[in-house]
Amino acid sequence: MVNKEANIDLLFRNGLRDLEVLPPAEAWTNILPAIRRRQRPVMLLRSAAVAAVLLSISFLAYKWSREFSVTPANPFSAYENAVQPADNPLNVRAARQLPFVADNLTDRKTDYTLAENMAAPVTATDENIPQAAVTYAEVPDNMMIPGNIGIPSLASASAGLRYRTAVVDEGFDKQAEIICNLPVEKQERWSLYAGASPDYYMRPGFNNAKVPDQIYQSEQARISYSGGIGFAYKINRKLSIQSGIYYASVGNEVAGINSFAGFRPFDQTKGDHNFEVVTASGRIYTDNSDVFLRDISGDRVLTRYTNDVFDPVKSDLSYLSNSLYQNFSYLEMPFMLRYKLIDKNIDFNLIGGLAYNFLINNNVHTVIDGSKYYIGKTEGLNPILVSSSMGMGIEYTISDKFSLNLEPTFRYYLSPFGDATGVKTHPYSFGVFSGLSFKF
Amino acid sequence: MSIKRSGTLPDIINIIKGCLAGSRRDQELLYRRHAAKLYAVCLQYSGNDDEARDILQEGFIKIFENLIHYKNEGSFEGWMRRIVVNTALEKYRSKHNLYRVDDIDTIPEPDASPETDDYSGLEAGDLLMIIRDLPPKYRMVFNLYAIEGYSHKEISRMINISEGTSKSNLSRARMILQKKVSFYTGVNKKVISG
Repeated sequence: MVNKEANIDLLFRNGLRDLEVLPPAEAWTNILPAIRRRQRPVMLLRSAAVAAVLLSISFLAYKWSREFSVTPANPFSAYENAVQPADNPLNVRAARQLPFVADNLTDRKTDYTLAENMAAPVTATDENIPQAAVTYAEVPDNMMIPGNIGIPSLASASAGLRYRTAVVDEGFDKQAEIICNLPVEKQERWSLYAGASPDYYMRPGFNNAKVPDQIYQSEQARISYSGGIGFAYKINRKLSIQSGIYYASVGNEVAGINSFAGFRPFDQTKGDHNFEVVTASGRIYTDNSDVFLRDISGDRVLTRYTNDVFDPVKSDLSYLSNSLYQNFSYLEMPFMLRYKLIDKNIDFNLIGGLAYNFLINNNVHTVIDGSKYYIGKTEGLNPILVSSSMGMGIEYTISDKFSLNLEPTFRYYLSPFGDATGVKTHPYSFGVFSGLSFKF
Repeated sequence: MSIKRSGTLPDIINIIKGCLAGSRRDQELLYRRHAAKLYAVCLQYSGNDDEARDILQEGFIKIFENLIHYKNEGSFEGWMRRIVVNTALEKYRSKHNLYRVDDIDTIPEPDASPETDDYSGLEAGDLLMIIRDLPPKYRMVFNLYAIEGYSHKEISRMINISEGTSKSNLSRARMILQKKVSFYTGVNKKVISG
């Protein structure tokens, strides 16, 4: 009896071990939307995480750049440190008489006010110090301010910079000397830059009965990218304009369309295409006569080879995939304005403007074992798109000539990709442009 | 036909990585590669095709969700199979109350037929059909014990029955299977010899 039990167990265990049964075709199509629904919150969380990281980096960079501006490497800060000791009454006096504000100094437009015990307050700027009241003299190394107020750190910090002192005329306290940091600045108005950005495209919900829900549900943007070169012209210290030429590739996945290869021998059509697929961007027309398409559960595929006319399985066609991939390539010409919010070692800019996008290529393919299989083209696309962009630029100066740029940018398309479905949908995208710029 | 194929089949680790990165292609590849085997498991645990399809779908959704927890220890196929079996168990537990308690009394007794240990005439498909004919309680215990290798103690926890019930269910299941197998092999032999 025990043997018999063991035998029956073994019989089923061994007999069923390698059994394979093909599941119904709709099983996968039912799994796919469930995975997508679950992945969308993940995608949102990722986007939120990226945004949070960028904000944190921006904040830290801003804080760091502020701290950087008051480090002892700055000659003015060094000067402040030098006059701090309070045991010498003269030093105390001198410190009171020269109330420099570090932030003002680093802004390179100095506004010095000598207050308190001065006979008359004097305001002197780089440009408008009255010649009658002020004489300029080159500061020699190891210069000692009258009254034995030594500024040893100033001399060492002055290497490579040209300093001038503005000595207030005899009517004022002779010890009141304003040391101005006036590095000669060469105006570099032009800059060239190159860079690239991954872009994530989204479409607003259609909320419109004209577009079948299936089209919206079955289409999903794929990660796209853009890259190119550009130039910028500095109108003034804060404002610059920029333009250039970019190549942008935008991808879209249309799920739920079964594709098969090997249809050519059965193709009796005299026309130029056998299948049309309705998508939110336009209609896909098959160029490849070897391909057979069938909508798994809807009626997005328009053809004379309907289910009752032709069965790809019975005809032994090779199954390729259940998704089509649309690719749109654009040449993009942006016209942007850049406003410098913070001018430090790490600059922060606000960027906004318009871009013209010229459609240069579009194709539809499917993928089998990692290789592309050409399907056709999307018809009804808008050949020129206008998009508006807004972003925040972070510019890190590597050297006098080079700087690194990081620009999280939001883009909204004022023109729809296409309106073949009768409803104009305006996609939007988010990307982080990163690149290198060269000033000249 | 102009299909361009390049390279060998992607390694399962790369497919898993692709799935974790949200690649539709890799998700589909994983499904296409393993669906047939796992669907056979689903059929083995369910009485009808719709239920089997539901188990497969829910099982694959769980597989995709839990891929991140797969530690690359042991067989990946075994890991997937466990998920599908657990899904079948959940389904069974949720429907448990719907099955009549007196299943045991309503089992159709197979006709008396010559018993034999020679099962050579049975195909895998026949075995699947026979096992699917079992009442759910017996089918579940037999599958978990004889095919998956769980102990009665484990089974009792899995489907919320006592160890004694598990043993008696297994015994009943074996008896029914034995008779059915003998019946089918007997019929086959008669057909062949007659």
